[in-house]
Amino acid sequence: MTTDLAGRSATAPTEDAVTRLDWVGTLARLVLGIVLLVAGALKVGHPAASARAVQAYQLLPYDVARLIGYGLPMVEIIVGSLLVIGLLTRGAAVVASLLMAAFVIGIVSAWVRGLAIDCGCFGGGGTIAKADTSYPLEVARDAGLLLCGLYLLWRPRSALSLDRRWYGI
Amino acid sequence: MAQNRPDSPRDSRSAKIQAAQKAGPSAGASRMTIAAIVFIVAVIAVVGGVILTQKSSEKKAAAGGNSVPTGASATAGYPGNTGVTLVSGAPTLALYEDFQCPNCALFEKTFGPTIKELAGAGKVKLEYHILNFLDDSGGNQSTTVANGVFCAADAGRFQAFHDAAFVGQFPEGQNVTVDDITKFAETAGLSGDSLSTWKTCVKAGKYTKFITDTNDAAFKISGFRGTPTVILNGKTLELSTPESLAAAVQAATTK
Repeated sequence: MTTDLAGRSATAPTEDAVTRLDWVGTLARLVLGIVLLVAGALKVGHPAASARAVQAYQLLPYDVARLIGYGLPMVEIIVGSLLVIGLLTRGAAVVASLLMAAFVIGIVSAWVRGLAIDCGCFGGGGTIAKADTSYPLEVARDAGLLLCGLYLLWRPRSALSLDRRWYGI
Repeated sequence: MAQNRPDSPRDSRSAKIQAAQKAGPSAGASRMTIAAIVFIVAVIAVVGGVILTQKSSEKKAAAGGNSVPTGASATAGYPGNTGVTLVSGAPTLALYEDFQCPNCALFEKTFGPTIKELAGAGKVKLEYHILNFLDDSGGNQSTTVANGVFCAADAGRFQAFHDAAFVGQFPEGQNVTVDDITKFAETAGLSGDSLSTWKTCVKAGKYTKFITDTNDAAFKISGFRGTPTVILNGKTLELSTPESLAAAVQAATTK
């Protein structure tokens, strides 16, 4: 380590020594948080399309799926923002992990049932041609993001976070 | 940490801060307060957002009239060949189209003549399900042209307007005004009083609710894939050629 790391903490007197794992936490926070923030922002202005994307999974009653489609982008934006600034990291990581687990289950279930849909993760969505589906990629991406969430659940400490600056955690 | 000597200024400073944080209940309370505030704001934003969206989508559907075209329903669409006597055992051929959908224009070009022939001969009971889901991203083209076709239907010109609107289709994503689509009504043979009645009807969005209901009903069909979709007696057809459609109709005709 550490002259530079120690030097860095010295400029921020409320912080304990920043460890390598803290930077892993920062990376996990930013990756997960930015993806959620972008995904939510792309969808939030198009509630009808977002509702249609959820309905295309055919997992939930039609009207329930519509309400989820309306609400999900806002949830993604809030959780993504908390992760990016590192406030209430563990709580945000719980919600983000639950979201990612739900997305993985939804996509795998659509895949297994032979539906041909776009995951609708970043807007768009709905039924598409079979040849245009990209389930393996979508599942891999969301599983990777789920790992980021689970890591933060296990160890929410990270560098450059409000949790650290304000509360020393 | 091994590299930090216990008496280093940094370490003792942070130890003091930690001690202060542990000692002061206010630090814990303020963290709980922040968590509570974030949680409450989040719940209000999400629930409020959902309710507002729901209200505005209801308002949008209710902005126009809630008339239903003669002989039509949201689940059975608009009847395409009511004046024709059906042959016995003729199957129901349901077409799902959005006036904004480029593949629908292509579909009409390829299959339109065969469908008209089958419908005209009474070999199928033809249903047109005119959808507007391509307006979901915020446009108005699908809903406006769909109002156009049903307002033309008021004057008995459904088919002519329908065909003209697909031939002269606007690019996907482009918004249209009533004036933009008046040429379809003129091609369909409307003029003078009937044309001004048509314009008033489209401007009022007389059939917007019906179109939205038809759209919702279509997407409730399991495995519904958007447009164009052709459903023959409840079974979705994978179409390759007009001949294959005629053959499928023949096979679905109950003797």
